[in-house]
Amino acid sequence: MKPTLKPTLLFNLLIAGAFIVPMASQAQDTSPAALIETFSLEAGRAGDATAGQAFFLATHSGGKPDTPSCTTCHTMDPTKNGQARTGKVIEPMASSVNPARFTDSGKITKWFRRNCNSVLGRECTPGEKADVLAWLSSL
Amino acid sequence: MAQPPQPKPARPTSAAALSPEPKIRVWDLFLRFSHWLLALSVTIALLSGFFGGLPKLWLHLIVGITALVVVVLRLTWGFTGPGSARFADFWPSPRAIMAHLAGRDGRHLGHNPLGALMVFALLGSVLALAISGALSLGGLYKIGPFAADGFALGSVAREAHEIFGFLILALIAAHLGGVLFESLRGKENLARAMVTGQKVGRPGDHAPMERQARMAMSLALGLILLVGGTLALVKLAKRPVDGLPVVTSSLVADECGACHMAYPASLLPKQAWQHLMAGLDDHFGEDASLAPETTVAISQWLAANAAESADTLPAHVFSNPDPMALGQITATPGWKALHHDIVAETFKRAPIFSQGNCQACHKDAEGGRFSPLALSIPSPKK
Ligand code: HEC
Ligand code: HEC
Ligand code: HEC
Repeated sequence: MKPTLKPTLLFNLLIAGAFIVPMASQAQDTSPAALIETFSLEAGRAGDATAGQAFFLATHSGGKPDTPSCTTCHTMDPTKNGQARTGKVIEPMASSVNPARFTDSGKITKWFRRNCNSVLGRECTPGEKADVLAWLSSL
Repeated sequence: MAQPPQPKPARPTSAAALSPEPKIRVWDLFLRFSHWLLALSVTIALLSGFFGGLPKLWLHLIVGITALVVVVLRLTWGFTGPGSARFADFWPSPRAIMAHLAGRDGRHLGHNPLGALMVFALLGSVLALAISGALSLGGLYKIGPFAADGFALGSVAREAHEIFGFLILALIAAHLGGVLFESLRGKENLARAMVTGQKVGRPGDHAPMERQARMAMSLALGLILLVGGTLALVKLAKRPVDGLPVVTSSLVADECGACHMAYPASLLPKQAWQHLMAGLDDHFGEDASLAPETTVAISQWLAANAAESADTLPAHVFSNPDPMALGQITATPGWKALHHDIVAETFKRAPIFSQGNCQACHKDAEGGRFSPLALSIPSPKK
């Protein structure tokens, strides 16, 4: 029985993973270090905190007019509260101040997709993601 | 009642000694107290009603309820009070009115027939205002004894309430005019008599009827009416209320509450939600896109609990036929009309920042009730 069970279990897990993770992502399923590693592997280079800082603080073009920069909502100081355009407070982005940051793979995927599209008008590259996370988790 | 205080024997030198004018106790203490309390509460109710706006509704309710209680007690006093407080003493029969208009009836120490008409008109208007007010509060805002009686009735009552407001304003003007006219005509200060309770007796006066107050009866009757009335209203208030907004599902609260409060589904009609959910990748200048299956789940939930399924005021007023503004609550004519008096800077400053930040001013916004009693514009400092 054992040899036949294994592939089915794996298969089930894969199916479950494919369907459940994107829908209801599990909090605490990852860590900043694990995420940086994943993005670095994809990018083929290590995350660079200095490049991440420059990217995060820069004013970009190509995105939506109301959101030219990550700092529009997250402010210049990621250890402080940010604010959405609606007035809603956004918790600090630096993982040293806000340990809940970058621990949920579904959340990070969703927000990189949205925020990069809003600010840059495109997806962020794995390198940019690795850089930003390297900076935000080094503060 | 205590017998009228006899004027002390005056010094021989004073003018009073030459023409002794007997002071007669006309208005008893409760009558005077209720008169001035009613005047005060109705004045504040009118000011807060016409100028205070919904943020002052709490004050309006306090003085409105005060006025109602005063009127109820005054009505019992009309059957149990002393002489000039009794309705029987000044019942304005057509004959009495005709005689008064023709000037055939001499001076009345108590209410004259026209004054009596005014008394009944004012008491009646306060009752009408209280009833229409309570019906509006229940129908429009789902608060109080008539919360279960529906938005449609509430809207009609709201119109009536305003009409009664103007009516009582006109009555007050006529009342003041009448008092002034009678004071000048009779060369006596009627307003002061309502403070001191005394008038100077003159020959040929219509004296009020001789009746003592029935204190025990009056207390019992007043208590029965107030306690019984309160219990009845509480019972009415406990009826189940239909059409209340549902609690936002946790999926919607999470996904649609990330950048702003999760707007209750009952704020917009189905069509507006569908339009909004179809354009999440360019959502008011931001990408708010979701996984396709999440989008479907949220769309369905919003449509199922949209304005069509609720009977609250916001569910009735925030629809917009303009296809360009579908899905934007703050662009609907209803929202603009309600917030017309708030200057644009107020919405931009801390801690509000945006028109869409409803819960900065409406503390119960996330529940979808938008009770005016949960409403206050926060001061600039946090
Ligand atoms: C329009 C406002 C806005 C802009 C612009 C914006 N963000 Fe965000 N961002 C948010 C909000 C809102 C959240 C989610 C709220 C929260 O997690 O507290 C978020 C979350 C994130 C997260 C997920 C954090 C986590 O806990 O997993 C990352 C990463 C992120 N933003 C990065 C960026 C980067 C990089 C940029 C610039 C390219 C950017 N954001 C620009 C509003 C914005
Ligand atoms: C700056 C504060 C402020 C903000 C923000 C605000 N409102 Fe109001 N709102 C008011 C005031 C003040 C009134 C009462 C106006 C009046 O006196 O008639 C009101 C009235 C209302 C009413 C009718 C009365 C009631 O209490 O039911 C509704 C419904 C309402 N607002 C909905 C909203 C919604 C929905 C939003 C967000 C999209 C919003 N408001 C944002 C201040 C605000
Ligand atoms: C990425 C951030 C973000 C997310 C996620 C988001 N919104 Fe918004 N939403 C906004 C912004 C920004 C506005 C414009 C608010 C303003 O101008 O004050 C807005 C406005 C709105 C308005 C109009 C409010 C008004 O001012 O009349 C509605 C309704 C709305 N959103 C519904 C939703 C729903 C439903 C969801 C979930 C599917 C959602 N939003 C998710 C950012 C977001």
